[in-house]
Amino acid sequence: MTAQDGDSGVSRRRVLQGAGVAAVAGLAGCGGSGDSDSGIELLHAWSDGDGNAAIGALIEGFQEAHPDVSFAEEPVNGAARSNLDQVIQNRLQSSNPPSTFQTWPGETLQKFGDAYADIEGDVWNDDLKNNYLAGPKKQAQLDGTYVTVPLNIHRINNLFYNKNVLDSAGVDPSSLSSPSDVVDACATISQETDAVPFAHQTSGAWSTVQLWETILLAEGGIGGYQSFIEGNGNRSSVKAALDSVVELSEYYPSDASSIGFTEANTMVMDGDAAFIHQGDWAAGAYSGDDSFNYGDQWGQVTYPGTSGSYLLNMDSFPYLANNPTPEDTKTFLSYCGSAEGQVLFNKEKGSIPPRSDADVSQLNQFQQDQYEDFNNAENQPPSIQHGLAVPPGVATNIGSAFSGFLENYDAGATADALIDAFN
Amino acid sequence: MRNPLTVLRRRLPGGRDARTDGGTASAAQESESFLDRDSVRSAPFWLPPTLLVGVFVYGAIGWNVLLSLTDFTGLGNPDYSSLDFENYVIAFQGGTPAWSDLTVDPIWNSFQNTVVLVVGFAAVCLVLGLLLAILVDQEIRFENTFRTIYLLPMSLSFVVTAKFWLYMYNPQTGLINIALGAVGIGPVEIVQNPDLKLAAIAFALVWQFSGYAMVVYLAGLRAIPDSHFEAARVDGASTVKMYWRIIIPQLRTATVSALVVLTVFALKAFDFLFSMYGYQPGPSADILATRMVREAYSNGNWAYGSAIAVVLFLMALAIVSPYIYSQYKRGAL
Repeated sequence: MTAQDGDSGVSRRRVLQGAGVAAVAGLAGCGGSGDSDSGIELLHAWSDGDGNAAIGALIEGFQEAHPDVSFAEEPVNGAARSNLDQVIQNRLQSSNPPSTFQTWPGETLQKFGDAYADIEGDVWNDDLKNNYLAGPKKQAQLDGTYVTVPLNIHRINNLFYNKNVLDSAGVDPSSLSSPSDVVDACATISQETDAVPFAHQTSGAWSTVQLWETILLAEGGIGGYQSFIEGNGNRSSVKAALDSVVELSEYYPSDASSIGFTEANTMVMDGDAAFIHQGDWAAGAYSGDDSFNYGDQWGQVTYPGTSGSYLLNMDSFPYLANNPTPEDTKTFLSYCGSAEGQVLFNKEKGSIPPRSDADVSQLNQFQQDQYEDFNNAENQPPSIQHGLAVPPGVATNIGSAFSGFLENYDAGATADALIDAFN
Repeated sequence: MRNPLTVLRRRLPGGRDARTDGGTASAAQESESFLDRDSVRSAPFWLPPTLLVGVFVYGAIGWNVLLSLTDFTGLGNPDYSSLDFENYVIAFQGGTPAWSDLTVDPIWNSFQNTVVLVVGFAAVCLVLGLLLAILVDQEIRFENTFRTIYLLPMSLSFVVTAKFWLYMYNPQTGLINIALGAVGIGPVEIVQNPDLKLAAIAFALVWQFSGYAMVVYLAGLRAIPDSHFEAARVDGASTVKMYWRIIIPQLRTATVSALVVLTVFALKAFDFLFSMYGYQPGPSADILATRMVREAYSNGNWAYGSAIAVVLFLMALAIVSPYIYSQYKRGAL
């Protein structure tokens, strides 16, 4: 080689060297995350709306209370809960767990069963144990070990209604006392008004699963409900609940299969529909509309036949073994278990605190009423649709059974499939 | 620039010295001829991409096959020490596998739906694409505009088209039912109707992909010399006869290549179904791809999901390989 042609030769080599270094650095970057100095790493799917406001309020409150603990909160982008689970799966697979993440408690915990660690004592101290009701407390445990901290409760057994529509139909919601009363009320509404009696969506199966589980709770009672989720369901009460859903389906909007939950809920807000059965996130949409107020334009009753029960859907933050920030995570989870943190979170989320000693005066009137119901509830059974009551494999089978049910409304075949879901 | 291999060979001991007698054949010369081969000399160009594709595509496929022979579920690492075909037996016969407490249904239902969807969709799509291509080929005004309009849906994502068709099928406000209503039918429930569900999905996919078939056919039509059309006309062939006897037989290559792309798209219609129905499209619309994702990601049955993926892969292979083989036979590969 000579100095004359060195110009181009050297620079080309340099370029290659540079590219090589960059590639190596890039590869190194792939494996080098998970440094525990960076603070608590919280993965969640609340990337917008009320969920995002709620988690923001919780973290802000935590950082005021614990300025020494740093935070690296990360919403999983574009996330639905299922994407989040995949991210967690990959992280756990590569032994790189985050500090904590958003998950349903209860049987859903089985999905990553071995990855959790016991936090009894550290987080689940006597204060938490004394102030959580039995239902949520049971859901915080995986096979009897406390591994997660529930921080909100959405109720499933609600029946929301548009007051004006019910008034013009002459239906008094508080007089309904069983699922068949709801069907009768729907018949009256369809005769007396132009409104759709029962707003519901059937493009996805989830709304119908939660409607059925609510009616099962009414038909089978808490005992029948419990034995179903333990795999010893009574076929006749399972089928009775399905029959009730079939009767209600006569009163769905005619385009139920093409709409989503938002559209169905909007029908109630616009006065185009009378009832909707949903979790109390439905009320979150109402509170965004100034001309649609609780007590004046809309109301809620416990789904007829299920009084005394508060059908639970919860979110929780579990403690992962092998934790990158063990002490900080426990500090944070303890804060999530405090009444203060839960009020901050639930004020934005529209749900209620799982602790029975929370000061809910900051929450809105509907939440306060729900909270009162919750504290007076004899039973707090876990939701099937929302992952608390049955392990993931069974939940999938139940979902399959209902995807068939939505096609043919064959209560007998679906009842068999539901009983079989546990085998 | 000098081939580095040539430089290397020069430096090897026993390398070539100029000999006036032409030298004698030796082992060293044989190794020289190996290094002289075109395939070896061009190795810097084909080897890296081949390795990358080999590892990341074929390696992944191989790993997936291996995974389907394990009992891997949930977290942790798969145990490769005990491999068996249990997942395939379960896939075709059903039963309770060793890795689960729950009975697992066989895949026949989703298999059947997949075949029906692929065949129905591809056939309609090709016919429609051909008709559109023939129409656009008539040297009409605004030909480019029409071509763009027909092709445009293909550029949309499945997620968009699925939500869009959910509206289109709406019994109250959807265009399909309004059109049916205009001729006195309906309103018809489509989205959750077990008799129409799969057909409705195929229809939406046809809408999305017939433009692609049209473009492929249009290219094929343009490649046919005008003299063929003229000769047929001179011989007195009617338009239908001309296309049926003269033109369409010459579109064989276009048909096969469009068919391959369309069927592979239909096999992968997962995103469309997922956007429309979520994880559970229901028994009359469940295809292998949705079943696979449900087993793997809802239930964490990784090995079983892999087994379904292998079945899907073999189906895709069964469609693609005759095409590749025929191309190879014709020397077009």
